[in-house]
Parts: sequence; C-alpha cells; structure tokens
Amino acid sequence: MAIARPSLPRISAQTIAGMALAAIVGVLVLYPIFFLLQAALDVGDPDVRPPTAYGLGNFVAMGHYAGILGNTVAVSLAATVMAIVFGFVTAWILSRTDVPFRRTLEQLMAVPYYVTPLLGAFAWSMLGAPESGFINQVWRAMGGHGALIDMVTPFGIAWVMALFEGSVAFFMIGAVMKSMDPSLEEASQVIGASRLRTMLRVTLPLVAPGVLGATIYVFAEMLGSFTAALVLGLPNRFYVVTTAIYQLVSQYPPRLPLAAAMGVSLFAIMFVMMFFYRRLVTSRSFVTVTGKAFRPRRMDMGGWRWVLFGICAFYVLLSVVLPLVTLVYASLQQIAVAFPTAANWTLANYRGALTMNAVRSALTNSLLLGIATATIGTALMGMLCWIVYRSRLPGRGIIEYVAMFPQAVPRLVFAFGMMWAWLVIPLPIYGTIWILLIAYLTVFLPLGMRTVSGVMLQLDKTLEESAQMCGASWIYRLRTVTMPLLRPGLVACWLLLFIASVRELGASILLMGPHSKVITPAIVESWFATSSELTAAMALIQTVVVAAAMAIFVMLTRQAAGPGGD
Amino acid sequence: MDSQPTTSPLTLKAEPIEVEDLRIQYGPVIAVRDVSFAVRPGEQLTLLGPSGCGKTTTLRALAGLERPSSGTIRVGGHVVYSSAQRIDIPAEKRGLSMVFQSYAIWPHMTVFDNVAYGLRVRKRPRAEIETRVQEALDLVQMGAYAARRASQLSGGQQQRVALARACAFSPQVLLFDEPLSNLDAKLRADMRIELRELQHRLGVTSVYVTHDLEEALAMSDRIVVMRDGVVEQAGTPTEIYARPRNAFVADFVGSSNLVQGRLRPDLARGGLIALETASGEIVLGDPCGRTPGATPTFSIRTVHLQFSAQRPAGEVNVWPVRVHRCVFQGDFTQIHVAWGDRDLVIRSAALEPIAEGQAAWISADPARCVLLEGE
Amino acid sequence: MSNATGPTRRHVLRAGAAIGGATLASRTVWAQAKAPPTKVLDFETNADMAKVEQEGQFVFYCHENEAGTAAIVDAFTKDFPKIQGSYVRAQTGALYSKVLAERSAGRYDVDVIQLSDLSPAIDFQKKGGYEIYQSPEAHAYQAKYLSDPPGAYFWTGVDFTGICYSKSRVPEADAPKNWKDLLDPRWRGAMSCKIAASGLQFVQWYELRKLYGDAYWTAFAKQLPHAFDSRVQLMDRLARGDDKVTAVGEYAAFVLYQKKGADIAFVAPPDGLPATPLLVGAVNKAPHPETAKLFIDWAMSLRGQKFYQDNMNLIYASVRDDAPPMITGARLSEFKLLTPTNLNDYLASHDEFNKVWGAMLGL
Repeated sequence: MAIARPSLPRISAQTIAGMALAAIVGVLVLYPIFFLLQAALDVGDPDVRPPTAYGLGNFVAMGHYAGILGNTVAVSLAATVMAIVFGFVTAWILSRTDVPFRRTLEQLMAVPYYVTPLLGAFAWSMLGAPESGFINQVWRAMGGHGALIDMVTPFGIAWVMALFEGSVAFFMIGAVMKSMDPSLEEASQVIGASRLRTMLRVTLPLVAPGVLGATIYVFAEMLGSFTAALVLGLPNRFYVVTTAIYQLVSQYPPRLPLAAAMGVSLFAIMFVMMFFYRRLVTSRSFVTVTGKAFRPRRMDMGGWRWVLFGICAFYVLLSVVLPLVTLVYASLQQIAVAFPTAANWTLANYRGALTMNAVRSALTNSLLLGIATATIGTALMGMLCWIVYRSRLPGRGIIEYVAMFPQAVPRLVFAFGMMWAWLVIPLPIYGTIWILLIAYLTVFLPLGMRTVSGVMLQLDKTLEESAQMCGASWIYRLRTVTMPLLRPGLVACWLLLFIASVRELGASILLMGPHSKVITPAIVESWFATSSELTAAMALIQTVVVAAAMAIFVMLTRQAAGPGGD
Repeated sequence: MDSQPTTSPLTLKAEPIEVEDLRIQYGPVIAVRDVSFAVRPGEQLTLLGPSGCGKTTTLRALAGLERPSSGTIRVGGHVVYSSAQRIDIPAEKRGLSMVFQSYAIWPHMTVFDNVAYGLRVRKRPRAEIETRVQEALDLVQMGAYAARRASQLSGGQQQRVALARACAFSPQVLLFDEPLSNLDAKLRADMRIELRELQHRLGVTSVYVTHDLEEALAMSDRIVVMRDGVVEQAGTPTEIYARPRNAFVADFVGSSNLVQGRLRPDLARGGLIALETASGEIVLGDPCGRTPGATPTFSIRTVHLQFSAQRPAGEVNVWPVRVHRCVFQGDFTQIHVAWGDRDLVIRSAALEPIAEGQAAWISADPARCVLLEGE
Repeated sequence: MSNATGPTRRHVLRAGAAIGGATLASRTVWAQAKAPPTKVLDFETNADMAKVEQEGQFVFYCHENEAGTAAIVDAFTKDFPKIQGSYVRAQTGALYSKVLAERSAGRYDVDVIQLSDLSPAIDFQKKGGYEIYQSPEAHAYQAKYLSDPPGAYFWTGVDFTGICYSKSRVPEADAPKNWKDLLDPRWRGAMSCKIAASGLQFVQWYELRKLYGDAYWTAFAKQLPHAFDSRVQLMDRLARGDDKVTAVGEYAAFVLYQKKGADIAFVAPPDGLPATPLLVGAVNKAPHPETAKLFIDWAMSLRGQKFYQDNMNLIYASVRDDAPPMITGARLSEFKLLTPTNLNDYLASHDEFNKVWGAMLGL
C-alpha cells in the first residue's frame, strides 16, 4: 500500500511526457504559421528580414487577383459536388443494396486514394488534351470533328479532383450509412414506399448530417488542392490560389508577401470550414458498444443489381484502371499517340527512368522518408491520441486542436511558412531531408490523429481501466493492453502515413534541396521539363515500388501478429 | 504492491473504507454532493439508486478512476484521496480491485493471461502465478477454460473470468460496477447468490453498485440509497425496507403508498401517532422515533395492506374501499382501490377472484405504517 | 562604368586596360605567384587538385531542364570520377531567387551557378555573390564574353531562338516567316512561349520591343499564348500537335526534336534571332571551392565547350575563340543575333517585363 505523500501538483511521468509532446506539436504547427503571418503583414522591403513595416497592404493588393479566388471557389465547388455525388451513390450502393461482388468493390474503392491525383492528372491530361489526347484522337479517327472532351480546362481540374476525392467521400458517407439503423428504412418499405422513395425520404434525411459533414470536409480539401491544378491548369493560364502562390514564390523576383497574404486568406477560409465540420462531427459518440453493431439489411434491387454493379465498376474504371492503363500505354511509346506505329514502341523510357540518377536517389529518399515518417509519425500520433483521449492532462483539448490545425492549412502554404521558419534557425536542416521529415510529420498530424483516434475511441475505456485496477502503471498498460488492441489501427496509420508521404507534393516541392530530392516533385518536374512518356514511366515505377513496399509491410506485420498474441 | 505476502485468496485481511464529504463536480454539474459513508472490514456495502444518481461516479472516485473536487477517502486507515492535504494516489497504487459492468476482458489474451495480469504486474514468481490463477478460476468454476482465448467466451463466462481476475491477486477491497446488469434474468439470480457466497468466503470488503433493488437487498450488509448525487438513506436492508426515511426511498425500495394527513394528537396511543386524511380517514402508525413535521406522511407498503371481501376483525386501520382495477402479475395481484378521495395500491397474493367495482375492505397493521422524516 | 552603353563598354575595356587590364594582369601575376596552373586531362586549371580530391563533392545550380543539367553534371563527374555531383534545377528566375533566399539566411550550399540571363548574373555580381576566379582557360575568350571585371562569370554558350511550327498542323502557305506574323489571329490559343522566369524570354521581349515597340507585345498578349518552363515542353506540344506554333523556338531544341523525328520546322526571322548568353560562375563561400574552380576551368576549356555543343540536351553555341562549328555544322556568326547592348537599360526593364508578362499570363 503506497504511503500517501502530499504532492502538488502531481508530476508523473505521464504529465512530463504529455507536456513534452504538447511542446513538440506546438512548435511543429504554430511556428511556421507565425512566420506565414509575419510575411503576409510585411509591407516593407521584401528582401529585408525581419520585416521593416507591417500593414494590410498585401491583402488589399489581393483584390487585384479576385479572379483567382473566384476560380478556386468555382473549381472547388464543382469538384465537391461531383465528389459527393460519386461518394454518396457508391456508398449507398455498396452499403444498402445487394449489389454483387460487394466486398471486392469496397476494397477497390480505396485504390483511387493510392493511385493519387497526380497520376490521375497526368493520365487524364494524356487522355483528354484537345489535340493530342487519346480519346480525342480516337474520336477523330471515328469521324468526329475537333475534340470530344477537353481536360485541360477548369472542368478537367474539377473532374480529376472529384474522381480521387470521391473515394474519401465514399468512406465518410459509407461510415455514416453503416451506423444507421436499418429498421428505419424497413418501416418505410413495409408501408409500401418504393425503394427510390425510401432512399429519398428516409435514407437521405437520416444521413444528411453525415453527408453535410463530408461535404464541408471535401470542400475544404479541394480549396487547398494543388496537384490537379498544377498539371492541368498552369499551362492554360488557369490559376487557383495554391498554384498562384507557387508561381509567385518561384518567379524572380519572388512576391513573397503577396503569396503569404494569399496563403493566409486561404487558410482563414479553410479554418472556418473545418470549424463547422468539427462542430457537426463531435456531437456524435464513437464508442461502438459490443454486440450492438447494426447489421444493415440490404434492399433487393432485382435486375437493377447489375446496373448498380456497372456504376461502381465504372467509377473504378475511370479513377483507377483507365489512368493506369493510359500511363502504361504512353510510357511504352516514344511519342505517345492513340494509334502508334510499330516503330513507336520502346522500352527506352523505362531504361531512362531507371538509370537516371535523380530518379534513383529521389526514389530512395522517398522510401526512406516514407518509412521514417510512418514509423515516427505513428508513434507520435499514437502517444498524442492517448494523451488527448485517454489521459487527464489539463489542456489536452488544446493539444487536440493544435494537432488538427494543419488540416486547415494547404500543404503548400504550410511549407512556405516552414521555409522561412527553418531558414532562420541555426540548425542546418534547411534543404536537407530532415526538413522534409519535419514538414511531413507536421502536415500529416491530422491524418494520423484521425486514424488512430478512430480506433482508440472505439476501444472501450474500461479495458485500460481494468488494467489500472490490476495495478499496472501507465507504461505497462500501454505496452500490454493498449498497443496490442490498437494494432490494427496503428498498422493502418503506418500505411496511410507511408503512402501520404511518398505521394506528397505541395510541401516537398518548396522544401526540396539538391541532396534531398523526393520522387513526387521529381515526377512533376519531369512532366514540366521532359517528355510525358518518360514521366509516365517514372510515375509507374513509383507506383510499383510503393505498392511493393506496402505489401512487404503488411506481410511483416501479419507475421508478427500471427504466432501467438501478446 | 510488491510487499504482499504469498497468501491464498482464501485468507485475506480486509480493509475498512471511509468516504467523507465527497464532492464530484463537472463544470456546473454537481454529480456527487457531499456523500459520506463507511464500510466495515469484510462487509458488503451497496450503492443503490436510479441511473444518474452518482453511484457509479462515487465508486469510480473510490477506485481512483475519477478525480473528486473535494473530500476525503481512506482505505485501511490510509488516505488515498484528500483535497485538503492535496493527496491523490493513482488508481493503480490504491490496492483496490474492480469488476466492470462490461467485464473488460482483454480479447487478445487467453483466460489464463487475463487472470494472471494482476499477479504479473506484481512480479510474482511463475509457480505462484500458476497456482493462484488456477485457484481463482476454480473459485468461479472456470478452471477448465484457462487456455481458452478470451474472445471466445460467452457473457456469463466473461463475467466469471472478470471476477477471477479481480480476486487473483488478493485485493483487500473489491469494487463492483453493476457486474450483473448485462446478464439475463435467470443467470443474474444465480450469480447473485454465487457472488454473495464468494464474498463471504473471501471475507473481502466490497463496495457494490447497482440499480436493481433485489440485488441490493439480497447481497448487501448495508445499503446506501442515492439520488441526484445525494445520500437519501443508509442502513441495513431491513432498516431501509421497513423504515424508509422519505418518499423517494419508500417508493424506490419496493412499492409504497404515501398517505399524508393532519396530525391528531388526541388519537395517539401506545407509542403510535394518528393522522387524519383529507377525506377523514384515520390512520395509526409508527413514528419510528421521528418528529412529525408540517406535512406528516405515512408510508404503507403495498404488500402490507390486507385486502378482504369481508370486513376484517380489528378496530384500528380498517377501511371500506371500492375496487378500481385489478392486474394479475403472477406472484401477486396488484389491486387499485378507491379510498376516500384517492387511490391506494395493494399487492396481494390472494387467489380469490376480484371484480372491478366490487366493494371490499382493507386493513393495515399500524407497525407497518411508517412515518417519513418530516419537512 | 554604370553609365556606359554598348560600344562604349568595349572602348572602356580596351582603353581601360590600365585600370581593368592592370588589375587583371596583377591578379594573374599574383595568382601565378601562388602556383602555376596544373594540367588536368587536356586543359589547365588553377584549382588545388589535392583539395579537390578531399572535397569530393560538387553542387551545381542550373537553369537547364532536368536532362540537360544532369548531362552537365554527369559529364563533369565522368571526367573526374572522384567527385560526386548533385544539382538543383529551376528556371533562371526561380533559381536566382532560391539562391538569394538561401544566402540571406546564411546558407551556402552552391558551388557553381549557371544562369540563362545577364540580368540576374550582373545583379549577383554586384551583390558579391560570385567568387572572383581567373581561369587559365580565360585566354581563349574575348573580353566581351567574360564578366566585367572578369573572373565572376563567363559565357559558356549562347542560346538563340527563332520560330518553330508544327508541319502537320500548319500548311506551308500559312507558316509564319517573321516575328510580326505571330500576331495573326489564326494563332490565337494555339501558340506557346516561355514563362517570365526564363532568361531567353526576357531577352526576346526586350529585343522585339526595341524593334517593334510596346504595341507588339500588347497584340501578342491577345493571342493568349500558353507559357511553359522548358524547351522540352514547347517542342513536345508542337510534336504532338497541341500547339501550332511556338514563339520561342530555340534552335537547339529544334535540332534535338528533329533528330527524334518530330514533324516540326524552324524559321529564322530576317529581323533577327533574340539570343541570350548562358552564364557560368563559381559562387562565393562555396562549400567546395576548389572543385568549383575546377569546374569553371573544365567548362571553359575546349573539352567542356565541345561537350556543351555536342550534347543533344544542350546544343549550345560556343563563343570560345577556337570552338568548332555547332553540331549541325552551322556557326554562330551565320545567324543574325539580337542581344542586349545597353545593359543598364536592359537590367532596369526587368521589373516592367515581369509585370507585363505576369499580366499576360494572368498573374
């Protein structure tokens, strides 16, 4: 029996660890934001740092670019609407009807996330460019005139964004639908309402809050989207805020204060959106009581089953199959056309891509960085989640808030702040792989927190409390109870972080240095500076290598979990 | 915790518990308000009350899983929590053990590993762990399941394993948070008896939380009835049943008729007092050492009212009534009668047929008409 | 010196030998007093070869596209296998602002920088960014192809542009013959050019403005051209048929793509071909200073110049006195080149160019 000792306040190992983590998160997240704000308010000589004069002049100057802001909102709206429609329809089909091959389709719905918008943007550019696009070439060969579709337009940008964000919307809306009590729909059907009427009058209103939440979230993501606009918009002089910032930063002389002002404005809008999203979402409880999971009853769609299957398959086709096939097709040609002659086929692109030193070093860097980000990130986020959701540390709500902060900041803008923030620190990390690591850990905090917290919140608190009552210290419980039970979530988090870091573009493109090239910006640079065929080869090599790395990881963790538990 | 001697679970030194002026506040909401009680070594105290009354919160504060706003908690004479002295010993160091409502069995471990957890934490030698785990499992008739994966157990089996786990490392205090509420009725009734026997056998001090009246009455040495964070009454089961302090306890612990009336000191006799109802009925009852207040009220249990078609013998507490409604409930029949200007409810085991509208008689033993504590 | 105009500059150089030349001579003398140049491979260098081996690394910032930059670094490291090379490539404007940003924060990561525009090079020289290094190979260059005063940077080659068009989309009769033909409405939305960060684009703007006035570029903006970072993109689009014509048809790019079999044609407008020098210089406070010197010597040497000319990704035109003809057999002197002569006016107009070009491209 421990002797009671007066202690004020209780400083335990837990508290120290918690405070250390809070400090780390605070520095990672808030420090670049401060620099961003400072740059945005700089109305003095832009070459002199620290700023000589502060003012709102940059924000006023932004009025001149109202068109760009309008572009951003218009494209984001269009993309959001499309993404939500894709997501809702596929979620409804896969969770509420008896569509065939449901499980396979569900797994396939995750693939667009892995394929990444960059590949999608490249592929759709190759498919839908007005003159050289494959689809248009086929169209003309069939006797059509001009171009059937034109992807190098704002619509094209919205389309590509929607295709890939659609899978995110699918998962969010699907989760809402799965937690819905099916007896509510059955009541409607028993009364005699048709399936369509049931969906419109019962399902829709019930899932409306969840769909609204997903809409806000997707819209915020679209506002900060960079990749599709970079590939499809830049050449056609169509700017959104993120690509405009990128241009302003990379031109000479750079217009950093203006770029910072734009970044801050975008950030403010996204912040407000995220605020509404969190209000909507945190009113729900996440603990799944054992044995109370709803088993949704699926509607019998009769002959329509195959039509629905077709719809889902079509979505997968458009977002995954078609882009990948297009890239393979293009990468094997010298100058990619829809109807190549025999002489056009070549493996030179792959040879070139594999022997290019830049590609090899970029790929290696990306893999190493990916592993480091995923491993450190999972540990960091695991501990953060534990502190926020399971400890009694005062101020843990603030930690959660700060950790989710980067969600509202477009990656590019964040990197911009980081560029300045770390330039002035005497630590020699600017231009090295370390700053990329720090950048990734920071911008992926919300992603990791969300993944781990999802699993952690589902974990019944009493499982850890009972360990406590058996006398286990904080660390002992973490090791023997919490971690093993969280393993599926931690593995998922690792994989997500790995993929996210390998495919990251917005932050990397600003922070890369000569010794720290990473693959996705290298691919984008290649797109702008070399042939699209070579770029296609590089992109496919990246996809294959990443997929292989993931497969290895999954095998390793399965093996570790297999023989005997904990 | 590492100073525990190697004792078998059958011989424990039970500890007393004292809770003083415990207050637990969440923002503006006061969940537990100045609750005090004491548990003698080896006794089972039950916290009884409707949901939201603060009983679970109090238990968790005792365990160390909730932090009170003020008050003192002592276990075995040692202060484990004191707001005045700024002491708050973490849950894992208080030496208490707990069985949770959801059992909280770890699905990724075997039954053996679950039960052995507390012993492993205390770094007991392997041989000792094996013996004691087997003993604990045998105690709950789960001896054969040691190697089974915990996720493959039924609800009842999980509950037993939770119990075994809680006992295995010989705690001095066992806390129970509604452990039987997730079981079906039949199993619950059986487990009640088993738990009681176990507690007696181990001689361990127990604090038990439930909203189920039968459980509390059957298993407890003493009961603390709580409502809205406040202790309404504390006492033995019989005390609480026979002499409820106020209307809430009277109606919560069993069902009761509340009869309010004007004090008739002129009719008081033999230690009994008389109340005259608004419609003129005179009721004699036991004041139980309480002073009648401005609105004196008797509590008469529904099972203590005698129902008969004929006028019963006796002068006192006999009244004619008319039957309103009759509901057959199996073990008893619930009869609603019109009495004066109001209704009374009677639970009677009588088998004779009762017709609605029938005229009948009821009577009550004055000793069973209990004066509630006055306002 | 800041008030000198083109021809006067040459005057100053020749007549000012007492000042510049003497300094040059004394510098050389002083350098010679330190140590005689070493013969490495087939050229001479003042770098300390022992230190070069120690440094073992080389960081190159260049404006060229990925393939070109990689080729330069590869060629250098192939000649000196003990050196490990790495590079950063970005269009001149972006590259220069990156270097300035780094230096302002006290980061000195670059050994040698190559720019495609005189304006940032002169600016960098003014800021003391270049390491003043007199290469023994400098004797093969006329003074006008070196920095002023020499030792900061030199002209490693010249890049010039005409007009290119896609033969499959443009019938012979409609093909543009001169710069003014680009203003024809038929090219609207089907023409490409380079982004503002490109040195060559700045020169073209400046020179054609001199020839035709601001009205030319106002009309040009109405054509809604697509702007790109590199020659590869411009040529790719022509080859694929995404564009009909490009206003920045670099001769070097044309040669490369013709070899690849693209169906494109090159037009040398009779009014002249804007040309920009490609400027290479060692950077001050470099992490590997001796290697930087070695690179300068290598690049300046006949060996290096032959490489720059012959490499398919570069196809520079060398200004070295004893350079062989270009890969096509042509010589630089055969083309009517337009290069800025009034450097101060040129430098001063950069801001205006950025504004005009930015507005044209919607930013």
